[in-house]
Amino acid sequence: MTFLAYILSCFFYFSFLFSKRETVGKIAYFFAAGGLILHTLALILRTIESGHAPFTNMYESLSFLAWSSILAYLIMEKKYKFRNVGPYFLLIVMAVMALASSPLMPKDHTPLVPALQSYWLWLHVSVTLLGEAFFALAFITSIMYLTTERREKKGKKLKSSLSSLKLDWISYRCIAVGFPLFTLGALVFGMVWAHKAWGSYWSWDPKETWSLITWFVFALYLHTRLLMGWRGRRSAWIAIIGFLTAMFTYFGVNYLISGLHSYA
Amino acid sequence: MQRLLNFFKSIKLALVIISLITISSVFGTLVPQQRPPAEYFARYGSLAQLLIRLKITNLYHSFWFIGLLFIFSLNIITCTLIRLMPKLRRILNPQFETEQKNLQLLKISKKIRKNWSVLKAKEELRGELRLRHYRVREREGEGKIFIIGRKRLLGAFGSDIVHLGLLIILAGGILSGLGGFRENLILYEQEVIPVPRADFKIRLEKFETEFYANGSVKDWKSTLTVLEKGAPQLNKVIEVNHPLSYKGLLFYQSSYGLDWESPSLELLISNNKSTEGPERISLEVGERVRLWGGEIEIKVTRFVPDFMIDENKQIRTRSLQPNNPAAFIEGWKDGQRIFSGWVFSRFPDFASLHQKNKDDLKIEITEIRARQFSVIQVARDPGTPLIWTGCAFLMMGLMLAFYWPIREIKAILEQEEKSTEIAVGALSSKNKEALEAELNKIFDSLRRRS
Repeated sequence: MTFLAYILSCFFYFSFLFSKRETVGKIAYFFAAGGLILHTLALILRTIESGHAPFTNMYESLSFLAWSSILAYLIMEKKYKFRNVGPYFLLIVMAVMALASSPLMPKDHTPLVPALQSYWLWLHVSVTLLGEAFFALAFITSIMYLTTERREKKGKKLKSSLSSLKLDWISYRCIAVGFPLFTLGALVFGMVWAHKAWGSYWSWDPKETWSLITWFVFALYLHTRLLMGWRGRRSAWIAIIGFLTAMFTYFGVNYLISGLHSYA
Repeated sequence: MQRLLNFFKSIKLALVIISLITISSVFGTLVPQQRPPAEYFARYGSLAQLLIRLKITNLYHSFWFIGLLFIFSLNIITCTLIRLMPKLRRILNPQFETEQKNLQLLKISKKIRKNWSVLKAKEELRGELRLRHYRVREREGEGKIFIIGRKRLLGAFGSDIVHLGLLIILAGGILSGLGGFRENLILYEQEVIPVPRADFKIRLEKFETEFYANGSVKDWKSTLTVLEKGAPQLNKVIEVNHPLSYKGLLFYQSSYGLDWESPSLELLISNNKSTEGPERISLEVGERVRLWGGEIEIKVTRFVPDFMIDENKQIRTRSLQPNNPAAFIEGWKDGQRIFSGWVFSRFPDFASLHQKNKDDLKIEITEIRARQFSVIQVARDPGTPLIWTGCAFLMMGLMLAFYWPIREIKAILEQEEKSTEIAVGALSSKNKEALEAELNKIFDSLRRRS
């Protein structure tokens, strides 16, 4: 159901992109919002059914990532008015939802292993994934920046009303929201929980290290931007690398490297 | 000295160091850390020597990685301090802008002319600024008044507070590394053991494993009593995520296990010659038990959970799991050993007791009860208070830097005959739109005033 609403929303965003009609854009927005409400209900139902936070395995956490991405997108769209980002971003969200619904991901809820039985599960995972949702938004706007900028350079007529300057700025705003969230959720809450559950706030576990690496990449983004005045293309590339690092932390570490974080 | 300072204050060094730490951390996650050398040779072959030599196998504790962190700290300190001094000067002693054309060069600039005297204009502007919580400073020149309104001054120090937080966290890490220790304690129920590096003991009262309906583990719980000079001080159930804290030491439920090396056994012994029926006895390894009213004594002298004979024809255990449990059992009568031999729990017919009359006695192992033990990690980590303080500074600094940017508005009021021109300029590094909106509101209400 939720998935269907997002597909419709994505479809309307694309129609908006091509027709440039305000009403189509509004319909798309409402479908995304409706999808978010359905998704929220689904998450609440699952929480009641399983009795624990709805992000304890890959399926659940992917679904939650999609949820927080839509939330992040709707907030940012409302605030900064950039409907053109919608179609591409919704594509990513759909990819995440498709991956979550694929048979690769076991969907049955399993009881929580002892280490996960903590309210820190709620705080750590939800805040981290919300931060990553904003990084995803920065990723999309950075890619759009690169294509738009190339077109501008060639003097071609812009397809969208968003200038590359604005895209660069939106991307920065997304990171300005995502970075504190990621710091709080992944690193600070992660350390507090690790201290409680494993007896050590930092153990250089691969997932911990990779989230530190992600943090460093975005720290580089901020320093080059704010102190050295890097803008545009170079900033966009760092934001793209940052998001890919975050995704490697999220998926890659689980499947490629073994460590303490073997839950999801 | 100056050159050293120049080296450490450069932002380029910061970028290089951050990149180096990042790249080496990546290596540290690709190569498994702190494994025995043999494993590296099996995995990487001739490359292993190089990896071990370069300490990539224990990267995060290697001298060069810690060296990188050290340079990183020095870099943060110098960068922050060098930027802090002029910043403090600017905040404590702001410079008035006296040239109108400079105001117009600022990112946001506005002008308005009102039929007010310069003093009235000053009162009005100051009122508007104060209404919006600006702190206002003013200076008078010839026929002109200069004004500075500022708020959210702390926002200017957001990045410095982030850096301070990071340094505190790094210091906490050093303290943990130098003064911390952690050790695993193996405890059986009712066992008392002295806590390492402390003057008290702990006793494990009870250890339980809870299961879900589907058989997977729900929780491990150890009931601990802290004993000081034999007297119980504190009693607490610890479980995963809920450690016990006592006198600066933390006790974690770390793991559990079954002691398959000296379990208690239940044997079924039948005597074909005797009229008496089979007898069921239970005994520990090493314990002697009398059979049939005291005629024969039986003893388990050795137990192995996973029986094997190694290349030296010695009997050993292959693993600590009960894959092929076997017990060496002796029988004594009148001070003489009358039989002995290995009895296998999985293969009851395979037993070979060396006795005078074969098949007289038959011994079966009917049950093996391994004692469960709880593994409790005891840790002292003097760095943690610093870590949490550092995290608090880090988050506070980030919030200030991103969401509490300093706002500074400079104005020149100049009277020409009966009217006064109010020229305003403002600068905001992070959120230009919000400041511009606020300035528009100020101008709207100035416009409405008469």
